[in-house]
Amino acid sequence: MLENFSFRTIVEYLPLFGQGLVTTVWLSVLAFAGALAVGIVLAAMNQQRGRLFRIPAKAYIDAVRATPLLAQLYFLYFGLPRLGIILPELVVGILALSLNSGAYVAEIIRAGILSIPHGQVEAGVASGMTYVQRMRLVILPQAFKVTIPPLLGQAIVLVKDSALLSLIAVAELTRAGQLLASDRFMPAEGFITIAAFYLLLYYGLKGLAALSGRWLGLAGAQT
Amino acid sequence: MTNPSKGRTGMIEFRGVNKWFGPLNVLKDITLSVEPSEVVVVCGPSGSGKSTLIRCINGLETIRDGDLVVDGQRLGDPATNMMRLRTEIGFVFQSFNLYPHKTALENVTLAPIHVRKIPRAEAEKAGRELLAKVGLADKVNAYPAQLSGGQQQRVAIARCLGMRPKIMLFDEPTSALDPEMISEVLDVMVAVAEEGMTMMVVTHEMGFARKVAQRMVFMDAGAIVESGTPEEFFSHPKTDRSRAFLSKILRH
Repeated sequence: MLENFSFRTIVEYLPLFGQGLVTTVWLSVLAFAGALAVGIVLAAMNQQRGRLFRIPAKAYIDAVRATPLLAQLYFLYFGLPRLGIILPELVVGILALSLNSGAYVAEIIRAGILSIPHGQVEAGVASGMTYVQRMRLVILPQAFKVTIPPLLGQAIVLVKDSALLSLIAVAELTRAGQLLASDRFMPAEGFITIAAFYLLLYYGLKGLAALSGRWLGLAGAQT
Repeated sequence: MTNPSKGRTGMIEFRGVNKWFGPLNVLKDITLSVEPSEVVVVCGPSGSGKSTLIRCINGLETIRDGDLVVDGQRLGDPATNMMRLRTEIGFVFQSFNLYPHKTALENVTLAPIHVRKIPRAEAEKAGRELLAKVGLADKVNAYPAQLSGGQQQRVAIARCLGMRPKIMLFDEPTSALDPEMISEVLDVMVAVAEEGMTMMVVTHEMGFARKVAQRMVFMDAGAIVESGTPEEFFSHPKTDRSRAFLSKILRH
């Protein structure tokens, strides 16, 4: 099988893969920033006592977790124009990834907040802190540390999910592989190459996780 | 802070207070007045409602009926600003509840800076003095995880004092400590009492009670069964239940 494997074609297509890789990286960064924003808002809504905020947040999280990302992507891609909202594919793609990943981020943040012992809340209450002060000064700084590893896990999932954007013709990494596969009838070359690049991204993020762990360990309270 | 309706000067006034957890009547018709600078020790078997009693004072628990007036302000009254009132009440927890991501000094200065709005430099100066006062001048920059239980509880007391409260509440402050660390915490509490702080202390440390309490309150099954000076209470307990309780805790 390998005698037919054309490294030359891969090298020929490298600029295209390079562009795809760069696109995948920055669209993932934007989408993850969006996911954090969506997740923080949802988690805050979920924390409220009033049902007015809690129920919509829960319904949203359930809806996102219960349906395939591909369906959500098509829902936005074909649905938004019907509402008269015409956006470039890339923007629709980033939006879909943010809205999808945001639901998972919300759950990660919620778990982080729940992991902080109730005594911490009471200590804040007893010293006269408001809800916002307690969150900002006591709960979130502690929850933040707990959430870093699962958040990076979610970032890795998001990078891989971004491959679906190839289906709405966003010129990201997977799209580059598809082009090679269809232009030259070389699916092995196309998809093995993008797999290698995704592996590279994965190790990059893992390295970041290790770095952040070390940094948090140094800056933190644990002995 | 007088209470005009009765013309009394109680710093903490319970009048016919009741509280339920579901069907369980955890506080039964509590009436109790604590005067300024008075030290009241609350004891009783576990589950008798002692902790619940003092947790009501700063609103960590809410009461169902009756009046609870603290520093002249009635709890549950819309005119009462609970956040403001809580800054006047220090609360020391059984499990310390120090902020693990903050140093000892930061634990002490956090609320003064953000709640009392005291300038940082001033709050830190006061914080260092308080930590020195509880014998932890050398632990200013230590994190809670680097401190022993007794040291953590002393930081927790300093944290409350940093707010310059009028009242200090202690919820079994030495129950989570190894025996050899109990006295270092009690010594600090004695010093606080001697400065004229109004205190309510839930504890079984009868040596402490004898030394500083003006009054003992004995609770059982949600009700105050007996109250009197430590001398009376220890030498002549009036009820069978307090006698039984004392015989258990003083036997050893």
